[in-house]
Amino acid sequence: MTYSFNGKNKTWLTAGIAVGLLCMALTWFGDDDFHTRFWSNFLHNSVFFTGIALMAGFFMTASITAWAGWYVVFKRVWESISLYLMVGIPLMLIVGLGVLLHWNHLYHWSDQSILDPNVPEKFDAILYGKKGFLNTTWYIGGTLLLGGIWIFILNKIRTLSLKEDREGTDGFKKHYGVRKWAAIFLPFAGFGSAAMVWQWVMSVDAHWYSTLFAWYCGASWFVSMISLTIIIILFLKSKGYYQNVTTEHFHDLGKFLFAFSIFWAYLWFSQYMLIWYANVGEETVYFKERITNYPTLFYLNLGINFVAPFFILMRNDTKRKMGSLAFTAGLVLFGHWLDFFLMLKPGILHTAHAAAGHGEHSAEAGHGAHDAAAHGAEHAVSHFEAGFTFPGLLELGTFIGFLCLFIFFVLNMLSKAPLTGDNDPYIEESIHHHT
Amino acid sequence: MSQSKDIIYGLWNDEEDLLRAVKVAVGDHLEIMDVYTPFPIHGLDPLLGLSESRLHIAGFIYGSLGTLTAFLGMSWIFTKDWPIIFGGKPHWAVPSFIPITFELTVLFAAIGMVVTFYLINGLGPGVVNPTIDLRITDDKFCIAFDKSEVDVGQVESFLKNNGASEIHSKTI
Repeated sequence: MTYSFNGKNKTWLTAGIAVGLLCMALTWFGDDDFHTRFWSNFLHNSVFFTGIALMAGFFMTASITAWAGWYVVFKRVWESISLYLMVGIPLMLIVGLGVLLHWNHLYHWSDQSILDPNVPEKFDAILYGKKGFLNTTWYIGGTLLLGGIWIFILNKIRTLSLKEDREGTDGFKKHYGVRKWAAIFLPFAGFGSAAMVWQWVMSVDAHWYSTLFAWYCGASWFVSMISLTIIIILFLKSKGYYQNVTTEHFHDLGKFLFAFSIFWAYLWFSQYMLIWYANVGEETVYFKERITNYPTLFYLNLGINFVAPFFILMRNDTKRKMGSLAFTAGLVLFGHWLDFFLMLKPGILHTAHAAAGHGEHSAEAGHGAHDAAAHGAEHAVSHFEAGFTFPGLLELGTFIGFLCLFIFFVLNMLSKAPLTGDNDPYIEESIHHHT
Repeated sequence: MSQSKDIIYGLWNDEEDLLRAVKVAVGDHLEIMDVYTPFPIHGLDPLLGLSESRLHIAGFIYGSLGTLTAFLGMSWIFTKDWPIIFGGKPHWAVPSFIPITFELTVLFAAIGMVVTFYLINGLGPGVVNPTIDLRITDDKFCIAFDKSEVDVGQVESFLKNNGASEIHSKTI
């Protein structure tokens, strides 16, 4: 059965995208000189949905490589989600172009004036040491190169999968092709995502680094990806499609939602506890900033993304009942959007203050490495700043816009091919899946 | 130990045939004593009318007890009983309690569930449970009837007509 993406759904989603564009325009005109709020919202939502697409590709290829069969009835959903990279990577390139041409001041390292050792009063030794990786060439080049490889391989897989559907397996030849490309994709997705997380997300706190940040960020994307998968399949099911996706499949998706929420919390805690225990100024600045100035979001993040799914999805039946599953999926999706908000906004606000600042930056920079901790205290935001300390209505509107764009793309992609690939070698196993 | 029983049982070679036979037996209102299989069979529990195990509820309670024991225990020890400063951290240093709290939660839940499972099933060191036929631990599927609860003639014809490869009587 092929999904027909009808006019009514298109109208609603276009309206959502329009709301997003309107909110972005409003943000732009009510913004500071560097349009920091606009650009940070743009980066926040672009990175969030690009990562979700990448994780769909990653999980799909991991499942293919592991000879998993249970998900095959709805594999088109992950194929479609993963191809959203074709939208997400260009969006990230716009951010990169903004960094290159100084349209925005999202990243502290993009400020060239602090990298000159001959100007000691402005010189920043830490960022000077990192300039081999934190620079626009890597930012844009990495996005282009890795993003290009991801899109290329995922397109190959999609093409082979559709071909298999039309022409039959003929001795599993196409399936072997899919398997080969999936195996090639995995290292690019695994190592490549870490490299891009450092560039896209972690480098907003340019002085700070954490070795497990890439996994933490990846887990956040992964959980969001599972949530969106559940929501999209439930929507299609309510329209009469995907009747072959049963409670058993949702049970497994629910288990992934549950398990990876715990995995996310495990990484969150591992990062937090090591930094708390070592109590080294350069590292604690990340959490000090967030606990002091963003306490509500900081604890809400844990509540929504760990405590809630942990207790709601612990029981067998809450994973099998669509109401509780859909509720948790929606909650956790929003929660991880907040998580990314909390990863990005504090660092960006610092950079913006430094850029708009009155030379305060140079006062501390001469001391080099020892000043990373002081850095946090100096620029600390003690007052409420809408769109930074807490997401405002404009942030929510922008989120809705990007979400609608994402769903529009996925549904459009789904409508181009039969929802279930009948010639996949694992299709019978998947139809009779029993947890 | 319970008193010995006279039973009659049939052996099947395939789990699908066994499931069909169980359906027929339930349809004919034959009182099945028990079904023995080498591995869990999907769909057998609801056919036999077995309710969901409550072991996991016990597990949750044991786990919560473990959480409380660890967290309250450490809180009391490090703030009241024997406060020591570790690495300049406050006495009530919650983040450092969390790994141990997690471990005791798992430990309590695991041991509690094992003990409960053994008690409920009458298992334990030195207990010998009679096995109807050793091959049910290998490749045979068995439906057993208690002769005192069923019409033996009816059971025999049921076993013959529903694909049982062997029919035996035994006292256990």
